[in-house]
Amino acid sequence: MSIDAPLPHPDLVAAIPRLRRYARVLTGESTRADDLVQETLARAWEKRRLWAAGTDLRAWLFTIMHNVFVNQRATARRDSQSVSLDDDENGVARELSVRPNQHLRVEIAEIAREVARLPSEQREVLVLAAVEELRYEEIASVLSIPIGTVMSRLSRAREKLRRALDHEPSENVPLKIVR
Amino acid sequence: MPVPLTDADLHAYADGNAAPERVPAIEAALRSDPSLAQFVAGVRRQNAALRDALDGPLNEPIPQRLLDAAAAPPKSRWRRTLPAFAVAATLVIGCAIGWFARDAMLERAGTPTTFARQAALTHALYASDANRPVEVWATEEKRLVTWLSRRLGFQVHAPDLNGFGYALVGGRLVAGNEKPTALFMYENADKQRLTLQVRKQADGPNDTGFRYVVEDGVSVFYWIDERCGYALSGQLDRGQLLAISRLVYGQLAAAESTPR
Repeated sequence: MSIDAPLPHPDLVAAIPRLRRYARVLTGESTRADDLVQETLARAWEKRRLWAAGTDLRAWLFTIMHNVFVNQRATARRDSQSVSLDDDENGVARELSVRPNQHLRVEIAEIAREVARLPSEQREVLVLAAVEELRYEEIASVLSIPIGTVMSRLSRAREKLRRALDHEPSENVPLKIVR
Repeated sequence: MPVPLTDADLHAYADGNAAPERVPAIEAALRSDPSLAQFVAGVRRQNAALRDALDGPLNEPIPQRLLDAAAAPPKSRWRRTLPAFAVAATLVIGCAIGWFARDAMLERAGTPTTFARQAALTHALYASDANRPVEVWATEEKRLVTWLSRRLGFQVHAPDLNGFGYALVGGRLVAGNEKPTALFMYENADKQRLTLQVRKQADGPNDTGFRYVVEDGVSVFYWIDERCGYALSGQLDRGQLLAISRLVYGQLAAAESTPR
């Protein structure tokens, strides 16, 4: 077998904590999150020829993770018509809000809970933008959606989260021209 | 006439992502309209709060299995697409990976693992595994049953659940608290999975009725018969799972009384 250009190992290791953070947002559960990270790393090695050296490795890894997760979720949905998989959302809420360290400010638990309540498409965009600090074009490419969709989801997610934390009644706010 | 700004500009600016050529116009708008400046400040506060709330994993040690996964291409990748040929490899690799993951789960649970809880955790671990849910596939059912019987020290049977639309996928050996446990996995046409776990009880009652628990979203019926513990786990509702448990119980009882 020919020698493949290896993925830059230090960069791969450096990306793990952030992959774990995003995986936890996606799965809502730390063991499943680490399974997802592991699978993502394995796929990355498998598809390493598809990574263009010099481009952002992290964005590429998020793309792989998103795809693995979406496929797994599709399988899980098929697997469980009779089980309420709203558990999906509840699971996220449980994991993010129930932390061993109760010294954490209540706010943090509340934020985590509200994030978990967002529709998953909005949650993904919000976390990729606000927490992972990906550029919007990168998010569009990670999630395979048009950039306009990134913007509208981001805008809705932020507004929804703001209202939830301010305890205002929710309302869908369309993307608007503010000039 | 200033260049019209959109929400997108403001979000991008708040996120530090605005295109450089847009920045002067955005900043001018923020200076002239306090409500816009307030919006940007709000987004930035929210971002900071989100990072605070979600940063946990950044400060946790990285599990060895992830470091290993980052270090080199997975050795057995090709086998994942050829599960029929993977018996030997999955036995070793699946077992190793399963072990680490399982230890992590049991550790996380942090409570004495009762049979049912352990069964639920084990079910969750392996039933969600698309590629290596079992060590030995159903194509080698006879070998599977012989092997598990030998490892457990008594004759086990893989019940036939085709009547409920579940076909045997295969099985594996898993660790119990003191005694090894045999696991049989079943799958229906919708890829929904059930596992039956069997082990010798070290102590406790000789027989019990059906007991039902839900652990982490997994429903488990468990019972003890002739000092053997059985746990049937799946993401099914109670009624369905009970019906299947009764079938399993009946088949195993019949198998016990049939001379071989």
